[in-house]
Amino acid sequence: MTGQPNGQSGRLWISWLLVAALLGYGVVQTVITAAKLFTG
Amino acid sequence: MPLLSALDHQHTVAPPGYSRWLIPPAALSVHLCIGQAYATSVYKNSLIAHFDASQTAIGVIFSIAIVMLGLSAALGGTWVESNGPRKAMFVSASFWAAGFLVGALGIATGQLWLVYLGYGFLGGIGLGIGYISPVSTLIKWFPDRPGLATGLAIMGFGGGAMLASPLSRQLLSFYDPNYDPTNSASVASGGALVGLFVTLGIGYFAIMMFGVFNVRVPAPGWRPAGFDPGTVAAKPLVTTAHVSASNAIRTRSFWLLWVVLFCNVTAGIGILEQASPMIQDFFRDGGTSTVTIAAAGGFVGLLSLFNMAGRFVWSSTSDVIGRKPIYMVYLGVGMVLYALLAVVGSTATALFVLLACVILSFYGGGFATVPAYLRDLFGTYQVGAIHGRLLTAWSAAGIAGPLIINGFLDAQGKPGTLTASAYQPALFTMVGVLAIGFVANLLIRPVPDRFHEPATATDGPGTAPDGPGTATDGPGTATDGPGNPITGPGTETVAVTSGDATDTERSTTR
Repeated sequence: MTGQPNGQSGRLWISWLLVAALLGYGVVQTVITAAKLFTG
Repeated sequence: MPLLSALDHQHTVAPPGYSRWLIPPAALSVHLCIGQAYATSVYKNSLIAHFDASQTAIGVIFSIAIVMLGLSAALGGTWVESNGPRKAMFVSASFWAAGFLVGALGIATGQLWLVYLGYGFLGGIGLGIGYISPVSTLIKWFPDRPGLATGLAIMGFGGGAMLASPLSRQLLSFYDPNYDPTNSASVASGGALVGLFVTLGIGYFAIMMFGVFNVRVPAPGWRPAGFDPGTVAAKPLVTTAHVSASNAIRTRSFWLLWVVLFCNVTAGIGILEQASPMIQDFFRDGGTSTVTIAAAGGFVGLLSLFNMAGRFVWSSTSDVIGRKPIYMVYLGVGMVLYALLAVVGSTATALFVLLACVILSFYGGGFATVPAYLRDLFGTYQVGAIHGRLLTAWSAAGIAGPLIINGFLDAQGKPGTLTASAYQPALFTMVGVLAIGFVANLLIRPVPDRFHEPATATDGPGTAPDGPGTATDGPGTATDGPGNPITGPGTETVAVTSGDATDTERSTTR
């Protein structure tokens, strides 16, 4: 995923960061909820 | 109309050097948005209070959306193939966003039918088109790892619900300070619901447009560097021929795979449908459950994580061990796990949770692996359209799964009084359902030659990148059609190209 022509590296980073941020937010929030299984 | 022209298939072909790793995030940006469909329970109580309607009347919104998902995926699949992923994603984003906005208008004016029309009908079309739009493209970009590619995208659908649930709660509390996002029984005002729907509609449209701009189809003949099609074609059940969507539904293998998906989803929905009360009922002692409501909510969250992770992990694993073996795991090991859940699930909470989580990972894996299974059987020509038709199994399972589990539980007693033994008939029925799917999977064979497209018919929009000359089955190809040899009873037969065809493919490799 490195050394891409036509400035694709930046596009790749932005693309993956966007989906990682969206998915990461959901996962973290769900892990917080799931933790209640062990603490609730 | 330069904008619409830019959406056309011919303007979506990737230039030389275009990174194929831009395609999974483009696909994810669509699936992460439409996955919201499984987070509607967050505002269900608020809609009931706002419209002063019954549970059923509000539940119909979701039902319409799921029915439209199945219909639009089944009927729109061929259109998606011929118009390409960019136009399909744009149409999906437009319908999905319009669904929210029309739904918001319905909430603001107190017209429930507008919510049915908006979120249910229009949004449901966006769901169906969006679900299948990137699948075919991903498979063509990742001929070496189709399971990984489709697993990534369809994982996004599971992740979309995990994103939308907390986001919706926080947005509702932003628009209505009296709404408590930590209390699932809290009810938001109508104004907050309007704000939520408008925000989600605009936000999702923007994110999905990100995918629209980034998605490309590979140029005809493109192959990943170092990829040898012969290594893929040499695997059991993998064909380099192409079958049209209209021919695919005439094959026995399509309907066997339909049964496989139906059984896997039906069994999984049985757990998902009842997850929260189920864990409380399994550990009920003298009328009181030792599992609190908060802990049960945590269990549902954990299942969501395994459902999502299974989509990526198991689908990627299928690239290594093959599609038929991975479904033997989903269905065969699933049968054992369901039986264990019924017999020893109530002995320890940790055991119950472990069994349920693995079962749900198989449920997610079944969804994510099926496009790659279709590609193995029918080629890449119209795999998106075939996938759309296969998703009717999902719609049918969405009806059958809850009917089975609720039917058995209703016969056992009232909610809140059930114990682990009350679930045994339903769980053993699911073992039987999985057994049917297991047998159906065993019976799947390569598609007979007579259903294959002529090599030239796969050129043009929606074609596979293989190019002409790749679709011929050579000597030694085994199929299940009349007059077509099968290597032996119960054998997973091999479809391989002739040496000439493989050489032609190699000559187009970049």
